Parts: sequence; C-alpha cells; structure tokens
Amino acid sequence: MGIISVEKADNLLWLGRYTERVHTTLKEFFISYDRMIDEDEDFYKELCVRFRMPDIYKSHADFITNYPFDENNPDSIMSNLMRAYDNAVILREFLGTETLSYIQLAVYAMQKAKLGRETLVDLMRVTDYILAFWGSIDDEVDDETARNIIKAGKRLERLDLYICLGIKTNEDLIRQYNRLVPRLQNSGLSYNQSVLDTLEPMLHDPHMNYKTAIALLEKVFD
Amino acid sequence: MEELYTHVNTINELLARYGVKFGIYKNNVFKEQLFPFDPIPRVITESEFDYLEKGLIQRVTALNCFLSDIYGDKKIVRDGVIPEEFIFSSSGFLAQCDGVKPPLNIYSHISGIDLVQSKDKTWYVLEDNLRVPSGASYPMIARELCRRTSPKTFHDNRIEDNRNYAKMLKETMNHVNTGGINVILTPGRYNAAFFEHSYLAEQTGSVLATGNNLFVENNNVYYKGYDGKKQRVGAVYRRISDEYLDPMVFEEQSVIGVPHLFSAYRAGNVALINAPGNGIADDKGIYYFVPKMIKYYLGQDSILNNAPTYLPFYEADMKYVLDNFDNLVIKDVAEAGGYGVVFGNSLTAEKKADFIELIKREPRRFIAQEVIDFIDIDILDFDERKPRKADLRAFVLTGSDVRVWKSGLTRFSRNPDSFIVNSSQGGGFKDTWVLSR
Repeated sequence: MGIISVEKADNLLWLGRYTERVHTTLKEFFISYDRMIDEDEDFYKELCVRFRMPDIYKSHADFITNYPFDENNPDSIMSNLMRAYDNAVILREFLGTETLSYIQLAVYAMQKAKLGRETLVDLMRVTDYILAFWGSIDDEVDDETARNIIKAGKRLERLDLYICLGIKTNEDLIRQYNRLVPRLQNSGLSYNQSVLDTLEPMLHDPHMNYKTAIALLEKVFD
Repeated sequence: MEELYTHVNTINELLARYGVKFGIYKNNVFKEQLFPFDPIPRVITESEFDYLEKGLIQRVTALNCFLSDIYGDKKIVRDGVIPEEFIFSSSGFLAQCDGVKPPLNIYSHISGIDLVQSKDKTWYVLEDNLRVPSGASYPMIARELCRRTSPKTFHDNRIEDNRNYAKMLKETMNHVNTGGINVILTPGRYNAAFFEHSYLAEQTGSVLATGNNLFVENNNVYYKGYDGKKQRVGAVYRRISDEYLDPMVFEEQSVIGVPHLFSAYRAGNVALINAPGNGIADDKGIYYFVPKMIKYYLGQDSILNNAPTYLPFYEADMKYVLDNFDNLVIKDVAEAGGYGVVFGNSLTAEKKADFIELIKREPRRFIAQEVIDFIDIDILDFDERKPRKADLRAFVLTGSDVRVWKSGLTRFSRNPDSFIVNSSQGGGFKDTWVLSR
C-alpha cells in the first residue's frame, strides 16, 4: 500500500488493541463464569477490579447477562468488539474484504449469542472469528508495516491486560513483553523507549507494583 | 436461472458477511443497513445492449462536449440552443470552474445514466448523473457471491462478466493521472456510500483518504504518512460534493475537503474525477436539452429517448402542464435521490392549487414529465414472485475511449404502489445481466 496516514496508523493500532481486548476478556469471562457456577458466585467483583471496571452489577446473574452484551456499557465485551469493528471497517483497503468479514462475523456471532441459550458455546464462535481474523491478517495482508502496527497494538493490549489481571507469572509477562518489542520496532510508530527500559526489569520482579507498571505502559506512546 | 433463486438467503447472508451496507440517518442517528438484494436479475440481450451502448456513448460524449463548451466558449448559449437562464441560474453551474480545463479535457469520467423501459420495450433516459454517481460496487460484489452460490447458473447461461468494473475504473483513473498515486477521497465512515468507497479503493488498489490525509504544497497534492513521508497524488476520485471539496474556493465551513485542492486542479497538477462543476449538465432542467446538445455537438439524432418533458419556463409548456397536471410528474430541479418528485394526481385540490401557484412563481425550478408506465420486474417475496417498478443505472466510463460497463445497478421499489426506487427510500437492488449471445 505504501504510505500509511496518521489516522490509519491509529486505526490499525486500535484495531489490534480492541480485538485483543475482546479475545482476552472473553477468555477470562469463560474462566470466571465457570468459577461462578458452583465455587464463588461473587467472583465477578474481583474481575471488575482486575479489569479496572466499575462494578455496576447487582448479582452474578446480572454480570453474566450484561457484561458480554450490553452495548451501552463501554466496558462490555460487545462495546469493545464494536470499537474493533469501527476501526476495521475503515481499513478495508488494508485488510481486504475477506479479512474484514471475520470482524463482521464476530459481531453477528455476538448478537446471536445474546439471544441464544448456550451463552458460553455461542461466545466461542466470537473467539473463533477473532482467531480467524488474525490468521487472515497473516495470510492476506501484504503490507508488512500495517501488519506490524496491528500486532503492536495486539501485543501492547495483551501485556496491559495481563498486568491488570495480576495472576500471570513473571515468565508470562516477560514473554508478552518480548513479543511486543520487535513489533513496536518494526511498526515505524514513534514510541518511548525509556518507558520500555524501565518496565522490562519490573516485569522480572515477583513483587512488581502492578499499578506503577500499568501507568508506565500507558505512557509508551507519550 | 431458477436454481439461483433457491440461494437467495445464502446470498443475502454473504452480502451481510462482507458488509455490503449503506448508511442512513434517522432522527439524526447514523445507522448502517443492509441493501436488500433480489436474486431475479434484469436480463438485457446482446442486441438490446448494443443499442443501449451506442446511445449511452453518444449521450455521454455530447455531455462532455457540453461541459467543455459551457466552461469555455459557451457557443451553445450564444447560438441560442440553450437559454442562458438555464445555465447561469443553475446551482450546478460553478463560476469558479469557468475557464478551467481538466486534464485531457475530460469532465465526466464516471457517468451514471438512469433509464427505464416502458411496457412497449422502449428505453427512456430519466436522469443523467455526472457528479458522483454511486452504486456500481453492489452488482459487482453480488455477482461474485451469486457465482459462488450457484455456479451452475453461470455455467448454463452466457452472461458478460461484470467483475471488471474495478479494472475499468482503475484504467479511467490512470488515463488522467498527472503523476502520482490514485486516491479515493471519502467524506468518511458516516457517509451513506462508505461501503462503496472502501470497496472500490480495495479493488482498484487506490488509497482511501479523507480530507485530513491530503495537503497541497506548491500547487501539488500529497498524501501524508504517519512517519512524515509524503506521496504525490495524481488523480482524486472524489466522493465528496463540489461544495465541500475545497474550503478556500467553495463552502468555507467544509471540514471534509482539502484546502487549495482546486488550485492544484486549476494548475493541471491533479485530476479530479469527476470534474467540479458537472452539476450543470445533470441539472433536471438541462436534461430537456440533451437531445439538442447531441444534434449541436455531434450532428446526430439522439439514439436514446428522453422521457417526454415540459419546461414551464416556456409559455406553451406551462399551458400544457396546467392543462394536463393530473397526468404529469413534476420534479424540483434542485432535489435528488427521489425527493422533490410530485405526481400530479396524488395532490388534494388545495395542495394542487398551491403547487400550481408555486410553479407559476418559479417556473425555472420545475420540470414536468409524462408518467412512463415502465415495466415491472419480478422480485422474490419469500417463494412468491411479485412485480415491482425498477430502473437501471448504467455506468459509462470515459478514459482513452468511452465505454459502457456490461452490467448496471437495477434498483427496485419494495412498495408495490411506488415508483421510487432509491435505496435511501427503502428500495433494493438486483444484478443486471448482459447476455453475451
């Protein structure tokens, strides 16, 4: 494609971030839902804290019904998927109609899951389409810079969420960090190397201050 | 052909999958809607297409001559073929374009000519769209999906492949490109035709840009990258109306245009597709004069018919309009998209009297046409075939030569009592098959 505009670079980055957010939050939702069945009904409260979301839910049933699907809640999985869609739909010439269709299919699957009886099974289809989308990017998108920007967004978001969750091992975090750095370097995006230099040793620390690490990561493009 | 119809749900699901939508505003809220597709195609025989092709090439050639003349010497006015009232009072005439020649003197690179066929099989041109005609992407992608769902249909019938539209469009852009990349300039995601903008960018390998992505330096247009690099732009297929194109020249409040774009165009450093100012040629009042244009510029009789049209501007026509008001359809020349169309027999006595007063007060503002009882084309309503009104938008591309795309957008009314086929008013679309034997 050649040159990428500032707006498109921003869309590519946020497409990566939002698709990753949908993917990881869905995975955590599956785990949490299972736990709430017969182990700890109030576990959703902890999940809200971990994901830095206000706990607006009356009960675990309310959480299970609304957290994935409530379009009016900016923290819901549906809202994040719609933000992914908003970014993807203006990138058709980069992604290609075929690749873009997986985001559209994920939206339809989410809408269908809202009405379905087997919520978790139906939501698995959303995950399937997100994975197909990422696979299609590797297979179909020729522009290497565009691919790198999307993946930089994806890796950045994953590291951010993993730090937020506070349950990942230092090895997990280091692995995600090591996947992020080359993507950032190849993306051509202007980023703050000193943030990464400060963050990296923190991720090795078993007593890492999570709040400081998250705040630091948010400054990577400052 | 019947085999194809059994796949209607699958085809519409695939159209949804690929995001074939158009946007509309309802109560100031933007919504994306699927564009309903009907699988029963409009079928045009080879000989019928030959006739249409000749007529369309003739018409678009004459319209390009007209635009070149009207923004140049204005001989057609001086020679009394078209009264000057129809030129200079038209909102489509842009004084800023006077004396400006586009690259290779091509004004209407992409022309969308709307036609209907009457029950006696005569084709009539209803409208010429020479500004930013839209719609080619829909039958193009629908054909791709129909071929996937029903290969047998396309094996058993000899149908011209319409998937070459993007190639034709790219050649059209390349022909006038002044050196640089091709760009499709969109108002953005919330435009009704955004799907088409993005799809055509993908299919032609053009860059899809908003006004913010382009800038003008030393009278050249550039696309700017996030890393500070810039790339020269040689052709802009703009999907933005003239008035919003350049805030320095037209609407100064425009935030979707590119400052100084017109200046680069005037210097011959970029092609604008279509040229600004084309609105004068697709003014509904000017439509009346197209057969006269063909005679004037080409020395030929018009091959295609205009719908019988009357201009209340002329005394004799005014009398005819008033005497036959109930049998006519009256169109406001300033409106488009199916708006501003009034069927005489649909008005109450009081409204009719008011409307006639308005016509008398502003005769230049209206044209009147005989209502053409155009043929119905069946649509599939669940498993039942039902007749509906349908028009055809033919696409004529002008580059190194004038070519007619062997397909078109057939739009139909979903309302059995309506002649209005516009998608913005709930219409659907069909594929248009041109048979190759």
